[in-house]
Amino acid sequence: MIEFQHVFKSYGRGRNILSDINFRVDPGEFIFVSGPSGAGKSTLLKLIGGLEPPSRGSIAVNNQRIDKMPSRARPYLRRAVGIILQDTHLLFDRNAIENVLLPLKVIGLENSLAYTRARAAIEKVGLSGKEDMNPVELSGGEQQRLAIARAIVNRPAILIVDEPTANLDQETARRIMDVFKDFNRVGVTTLIASHDRRLMASYASRTFLIDHGRFNDVKGVAA
Amino acid sequence: MRRWLRQHRYAIAVSVRRLLAQPFSSLANLLVIALTLTVPILGASILITAQPVARQLSVSPEMTIFLSPSADADASAGIAQRLKADFADDVASVKVVKRDEAMAKLRANPNWAQALAALPSNPLPDAVVVTLHEHPDLARHADTLATQWRQWQQVDLVQHDSAWVQRLEAILRFARIGLVLLAIGVALVVLATVFNTVRMQALTQREEIGVARLVGATESFVRRPFLYLGALTGLTAGLAAIALAYFALMPLNTALARLAQSYGTSLALRLPDAVSLALAVVVVAILGALSARWSVTRNTRF
Repeated sequence: MIEFQHVFKSYGRGRNILSDINFRVDPGEFIFVSGPSGAGKSTLLKLIGGLEPPSRGSIAVNNQRIDKMPSRARPYLRRAVGIILQDTHLLFDRNAIENVLLPLKVIGLENSLAYTRARAAIEKVGLSGKEDMNPVELSGGEQQRLAIARAIVNRPAILIVDEPTANLDQETARRIMDVFKDFNRVGVTTLIASHDRRLMASYASRTFLIDHGRFNDVKGVAA
Repeated sequence: MRRWLRQHRYAIAVSVRRLLAQPFSSLANLLVIALTLTVPILGASILITAQPVARQLSVSPEMTIFLSPSADADASAGIAQRLKADFADDVASVKVVKRDEAMAKLRANPNWAQALAALPSNPLPDAVVVTLHEHPDLARHADTLATQWRQWQQVDLVQHDSAWVQRLEAILRFARIGLVLLAIGVALVVLATVFNTVRMQALTQREEIGVARLVGATESFVRRPFLYLGALTGLTAGLAAIALAYFALMPLNTALARLAQSYGTSLALRLPDAVSLALAVVVVAILGALSARWSVTRNTRF
């Protein structure tokens, strides 16, 4: 599903943010990516989502080599990978359902089918009845769930999430994590960048620990 | 195919939404382009009205061959015969006007009658009025023929006032070149205005573009609404310019009609034909789309 072989990443001529990363993720795994701020967690997720090219090494996602993929082909890969960044990047000039509809408009899905799927995605994240609300009217947790609905509406095989529970209270964070776990149970491979150890301890079966370019693949949560 | 059409329909909807989201800014841009486009449309209206007038004057010029007063009585008939025989390709018709006939015509005019009565004899010569066939460069061709005919015996004068026709044609040629230069200037204004509009739009839509890319939008998907924005701006401004020119011609024509009436004629400026106007609108829309593409390619590299 996802395979990194000797992957290096640096920006410009600066030091390597990621050095010689090697791992393999099988379909349906639920993985945390952990490490201190600036360790390279977000960079790792961006490499998987094809948002950044690696400086060296090979990355395969869904049996496609991202490092060899021409830039014009990357959007098609992104349609199979749901990406939720730390900032939800919701659009405040449209209502909740129109935000969720965007990925379906990108693939040119027929209007009535697109609305059906968008409503289903909103229902899955527990925001039914709030379709017509502007994201600005939603709470932080609801905005996060709306971003999840937008990421899963295309039924991606892989979900990559960057710090989904930052700035959320424990209860809301747990509800958000339950949503991810639900998707994982139906086979969606999920990678979540987080530094919340308590949360990771409750959900993780495997953790990638990154610290200043060094990479450790550990079972459960690293001590 | 349906998916492709749906994506284009979505792009049109997005571009219309963006135009309507900033009504005053969009309207100001449209007005600038429309007013700029009105100038060459009015210029073209003047030119297409002046052209037939010039063509009418130069297409079938009449040349008059005046014989010397001492010419034989049947010399004019001989010259007419020679013209028909030797210049059949150039001459459309030949008419002999005898000196007595010309004098009778003049006497019929009350303005001349008194002055002519004072003359002891008829001073007018026999004349042959020649109408030429059409020719691509009729004025120059007429000059060549006149030079030849002046050499003939018993011919005193060949009158062909081509100089002012040539002058008028030169003025029209100048106006045509001026109009082309004006059109190029207008095209540059359209390009610059649409480029700047799209640049501003791309900056304000930065977040949406970023999200669209995140969820798998291709660059064509990102650019398409901007291309439609440029094309729609060009199309609307083009149509508005035609309407403006139409309304501007109304008072101009009223004034022109009065002026023409004082010369005993009628003249009215009219817009270029529908096909030319439609073509102009399409060209402006294409220019708008091209400028938008250039702008969006330069301004969405983030």
